[in-house]
Amino acid sequence: MEHILIIGGGVGGALAHDLTLRGFRVTLVERGALLSGTSGRHHGLVHSGARYILHDLETARECFEENQILKQIAFQALESNDGLFVALDDADMAYWDRFIDLCARADIPTKPLSTSQALHLEPKLASTIKGAVQVPDASMDAWRLPLQFFATAQSNGADIQEFCEVQAIYVSNRSVVGVDIRNHRLNRIERLDADLVVNAAGPWAAKIAAMVDLQIPLQAVPGVMVSVPVRLNQMVINRLHPAGEGDIIVPQRNLSILGTTAWMADDPDTVKIPPGHVSNLIDLGSKLIPEVSQLEPHAIWHASRPVLAQGSEHDPMRMSRGFDCVDHAAHDGLEGFVTLLGGKATTMRAMAEQTADLICRKTGRETSCRTRGVVLKPYRSYYRTNAR
Amino acid sequence: MNNIIQYVELSIRRYKSGQIDPPSFQTFKLPIEVDANLTILDCLEEIRLNQDATLMYRHSCHHSSCGTCACQINGSARLACTTQLQQLPMDQVITLEPLNNFECIADLVVNMEGFFKDIHPEWSYLKTNKSDDHPLSPQGTMAWQQLEDCIECGCCVSACPEMHAGERFMGPAALTAINRQCNKSPRERKKLLTQTGGDRGVDKCKRVLACSRVCPTRVYPSRHIEDLRRQLKKKEQMWFISLNAL
Repeated sequence: MEHILIIGGGVGGALAHDLTLRGFRVTLVERGALLSGTSGRHHGLVHSGARYILHDLETARECFEENQILKQIAFQALESNDGLFVALDDADMAYWDRFIDLCARADIPTKPLSTSQALHLEPKLASTIKGAVQVPDASMDAWRLPLQFFATAQSNGADIQEFCEVQAIYVSNRSVVGVDIRNHRLNRIERLDADLVVNAAGPWAAKIAAMVDLQIPLQAVPGVMVSVPVRLNQMVINRLHPAGEGDIIVPQRNLSILGTTAWMADDPDTVKIPPGHVSNLIDLGSKLIPEVSQLEPHAIWHASRPVLAQGSEHDPMRMSRGFDCVDHAAHDGLEGFVTLLGGKATTMRAMAEQTADLICRKTGRETSCRTRGVVLKPYRSYYRTNAR
Repeated sequence: MNNIIQYVELSIRRYKSGQIDPPSFQTFKLPIEVDANLTILDCLEEIRLNQDATLMYRHSCHHSSCGTCACQINGSARLACTTQLQQLPMDQVITLEPLNNFECIADLVVNMEGFFKDIHPEWSYLKTNKSDDHPLSPQGTMAWQQLEDCIECGCCVSACPEMHAGERFMGPAALTAINRQCNKSPRERKKLLTQTGGDRGVDKCKRVLACSRVCPTRVYPSRHIEDLRRQLKKKEQMWFISLNAL
């Protein structure tokens, strides 16, 4: 079978899993540690899809479908406690009926709750809330859940190489034939040949594409997150309004994570947290759960979303979080090179499925996707087979 | 955030098989904007991106959830992501070394395979959370799901004086995981207790409590080890009682 080389140790893990199940020989290279870019660094929300319902119905639908699949195949690293969309005031209540109606159109189950019902479930919510809608959100361990994809791919034969940074991409007769990597562990350059190279570097994908003089429609959109050292809520708490800053509190272990903000960045490597973002998150979070304002931050960090720069929407909060995989043979006349664009952690399996479908079409293989039904290996088994 | 620039020096133990071998310390001088929230991990990122792209360390979540960035900071096992520079004497050189009692792969990266040797991959990583504040889950039961507190970072193993080379000890993290599993799965308890009573088990622990002192998520492994000791003692007593009854 063809040798597929994946660049990027984030969503690439899900792709390695899909491709190994279809029988391909797979090598994955990651410049640093696995999941050290975007995929391991988010607030840990497994979307029900309801967050996107008011502006991106397609992504909402995709998220719900993947939410249901992840709960079946990756249950080891998920807290499945549902979520609430909380209406804080009359302006939020104006979205109530439309929110429930659109969720129904995307097949996302909802349960409207009165103020007292919501406060019974989540007593630390602001007592002045107008009501809440329960949805099937969940929280994930942003490191361990995707590691399950790597563990499974590895046990099925994928060669996963951390600390191997792509330095150059080789092209012969308008076809990508391999890459040069710098193996940081051994401090040397190595050549890896491949039949097809997949650029799955998330917000860094533009840098990889630039190595073969290609431009791709990608925008790095960083966001800030703040964790507080108390588990304030059991369910994911969202504000019922169009997606905006500071409208979510995700519980995880003994922490609550306040998310998030969004702005456009030129380079995901040089992102700095802009002034005011942290205090803004605390202010907005305390509207949902007032106790937030009394707590010192436990950690403050940022992660860059890879966002498809298409369409007319320029508000970084409302740009589509959909994904696409680009066959550069069709787009740019360069064979053997595919870029995975956009997407989000909740939909990593679907992104992998679509990319692997494309690779099957390109290589003339007729193997269908099996990842919807294969329960992933426990994350700890990643360390059982020569993992370095 | 203000713009006062201050210099901080980090001395990092470097190792690359066959290249920087034996390991040696390298000092990096960093101009930083004084900010209460700046962490050791932020400094490592700064060094890798602007001074030395070959520096190797693990990181992922940046908020003490994944456990991958543990290393020895000024000789103590800690998470780089939640250790703020201001918690350290910044006028002195800060030393960073890989975790103790692990094989070093390169620089600050260690091999975690041995850590998981006695922790079965299939053991559940979820617990139920019976929160007094949250009496009722959406299912109407008392059971909220919560990920385990132990983030498997290796700090406890690094700090444990009984884990040093040549000593055969399961270690505080594995014993903690075993104790959790005993509670979650009573049918496995007998077999697991027998293992912890073996020559790699609880008797190797000398109650130094270093594991509990360094644990970044307050799992307190020494309490789990004491709990296992109590269960083992009870098991022995039951055995004597049943022997006397014969």
